[in-house]
Amino acid sequence: MNWQIALPEIVLALSGMAILLFGVLYRRDASVPCNMLTLGAFLVAAFLVLSTPDGSGYGDLFVVDAFSRFVKILILAGAALALMLSFDYNRHEGIARFEFPVLILFAVVGMMTMVSAANLMTLYLGLELQLISLYVVTAFNRTAIRSSEAALKYFVLGALASGLLLYGISLVYGFAGSTSFAALASALNAPGGASPGLVVGIVFVIAGLVFEVSAVPFHMWTPDVYEGAPTPVTVFIGTAPKVAGMALLLRTLSTPFGHLSLDWRLLIELVSLGSMILGALAAIGQTNFKRLMAYSAIGHMGYTLIGLAAGTEAGLRGALIYLVVYVFMNVGIFAGIIAMRRHGRVFEQISDLAGLARTDPALALAFAVFLFSMAGIPPLAGFFGKLYVFLAAVQAGMWTLAIIGVLTSVVGAYYYIRIVKVMFMDAPAPAIDQRPAMVSFVAAATGLFTVFFVLFSAPIVAAAQAAAQVLFG
Amino acid sequence: MPVGLGHYLAVSAILLVLGVFGIFLNRKNVIIILMSIELILLSVNLNLVAFSASLGDLVGQVFTMFVLTVAAAEAAIGLAIVVVYFRNRGSIEVEDVTMMKG
Amino acid sequence: MIATIGFYVFAVILLASATMVVTARNPVHSVLFLILAFFNAAALFLIAGAEFLAMILIIVYVGAVAVLFLFVVMMLDVNFAELREGVQRYAPVGLVVGLILLFELGLVLTGWHFAPSAAEIRMSPTPTALSNTAALGNVLYTRYIFLFQLAGLILLVAMIGAIVLTHRERGTARRQRIGRQNARQPEETLAMLNVALGAGIDEIGILRPLPDPAPVGAESHALPHAAEPH
Repeated sequence: MNWQIALPEIVLALSGMAILLFGVLYRRDASVPCNMLTLGAFLVAAFLVLSTPDGSGYGDLFVVDAFSRFVKILILAGAALALMLSFDYNRHEGIARFEFPVLILFAVVGMMTMVSAANLMTLYLGLELQLISLYVVTAFNRTAIRSSEAALKYFVLGALASGLLLYGISLVYGFAGSTSFAALASALNAPGGASPGLVVGIVFVIAGLVFEVSAVPFHMWTPDVYEGAPTPVTVFIGTAPKVAGMALLLRTLSTPFGHLSLDWRLLIELVSLGSMILGALAAIGQTNFKRLMAYSAIGHMGYTLIGLAAGTEAGLRGALIYLVVYVFMNVGIFAGIIAMRRHGRVFEQISDLAGLARTDPALALAFAVFLFSMAGIPPLAGFFGKLYVFLAAVQAGMWTLAIIGVLTSVVGAYYYIRIVKVMFMDAPAPAIDQRPAMVSFVAAATGLFTVFFVLFSAPIVAAAQAAAQVLFG
Repeated sequence: MPVGLGHYLAVSAILLVLGVFGIFLNRKNVIIILMSIELILLSVNLNLVAFSASLGDLVGQVFTMFVLTVAAAEAAIGLAIVVVYFRNRGSIEVEDVTMMKG
Repeated sequence: MIATIGFYVFAVILLASATMVVTARNPVHSVLFLILAFFNAAALFLIAGAEFLAMILIIVYVGAVAVLFLFVVMMLDVNFAELREGVQRYAPVGLVVGLILLFELGLVLTGWHFAPSAAEIRMSPTPTALSNTAALGNVLYTRYIFLFQLAGLILLVAMIGAIVLTHRERGTARRQRIGRQNARQPEETLAMLNVALGAGIDEIGILRPLPDPAPVGAESHALPHAAEPH
């Protein structure tokens, strides 16, 4: 058996258990060494991901290809950055326990398994591993009402969504006869393969996955979870699971259900339109920065789905590039939000940022870079992300999506730039506390990525191209 | 299988609907919502077992086993979150979940 | 014939008890009906030939999950009478959603058919010569070992999560101190006395005072504290 194919996941899971053991047995406060060990494990896993050859193993349950490699590296990067932001915040909030990095690590194992799934069962188990870890870290600040409330909402809606996903999987399994992606693709390609029962099953599956990426009909949990969860958890939920969920959507719809694209493309188109419009309109009135970011995330998922709706290789490539750009912008902006603390108290209102340019020019500059990038102003990274998906939509003749996308981008630019205006024009509020070094480091790194994306975008675009080819090959 | 597949699917569909109905009906009691989720997963299991029997394929039963595992894990985490929530609020009403709105 | 009658009996009880789960006024009743529902679902599994899963369903659900529910329902001292007030208000919404879903599923169930290649693409055809349990065991630990391990990981995460969320370090909890236990010498705790015949223990004075009254007082102080939510 070709077991080495899952080496990164196995190593990561084993090191998770080792870190857990270390944390339990270590006499003193184990959170700092456990954080560092987890970062190290992520690094090792990234090397292993890059060195694992293509192939499938475990009786066609698990597959490694350029697509899974691309997405896994992105997930590891997002998770590592989110974890780095958590160090200082958790200590400050009194929730610096060694279980936190371990749970994040297991969530990453779940996501990496999802991304490599070649079977509906692998997909479901990976998804649940991720979701259960996320429910726990959302409630991690267990003395805070908001945190446990957010976890409760996330749990109830998440469990409902995964129940519906599972019901869909059971219908697909029953009517097609297999859960393997390859077998499903061949069964659905045959004439008479797609019965109404099967199509309903696929709709249930899409609904469950759309919940994952918090796109429109199933987005209700996003603002509350974003606002209530501890901020590093919000960063994490906003990056890695979104990437994994989107990758799952891309792979599932392109590989096993690819022959039914006429049936699902309209659905994805509507989801994408709804997300873009809701993300743009609902964000306008928000005063809480984390809530604003939740609506912004819904909008960004809408843009990413344009790539899938286009149904072409260029579209998938655009979606993947958009995900890369989104992860780095998102982490960067949340690094700024985590730095928002005055006299030791965390604040989240946008109005608290008034006049930041005068009290902390470096942070204000970083915020401005990320916000302009989110708004899609050239030559920042966000512009190129949007460019690739819109171009793909136009090439595929989906003018409605492209035009609505540009319009909602303009609306989005309004509220992003409004924040920049508050920071640069308004009368200054009292200065914020000294930033922790790690937060400054993350903000600087993601900021440099966002600004200079144009210079080194070629290898990323090439990797995304190779990844997209796999799904179309 | 002595009983037709359609019978099983019908029972399972009604069970799914009851579960979803339970979630919408019990806006006040979180524990009943958790039980409704268990009902949904039970309906999935019924589906999988019935398909497994009528296809003559063991995958459905293997999958059912994993779904049972996950359901148990989900129930444990769900109840843990409910306990934490109860300790913070002194109530388990869903309608109280209104601190964050807007 | 008997199987068909059995199926209808168990299916009707299953659906009736599931209805009671979501509508019962008292959550304890809900849990009990949930247990009844699981028993009947197990019977349906048996009729479909999945003996092993039927037993597992009873062991895992009735033995563990339902008891966990019962435990939490009893532990959270909630005024359940108040909780039911909102039901009537939301019933129409729930009913509409449920009926639409049922209608759609009805459409599905009338129009379904297997994909033509369904018989050929089965991953693990059921062996005829083995019992259900042996057949499952044969594939579960070989072909599906990856998923089996993954399921184990999910249980590990659930365990970590439940402990992280609910475990509280109480200063008053009495713990075993193994170091102190091992270091104890007989002389510290044992005294050999010659007891006169017929003398009461009060007279001889072998009843020693309790070594440290402080923990007792702390414990009684902690009780009301623990009862009130933080």
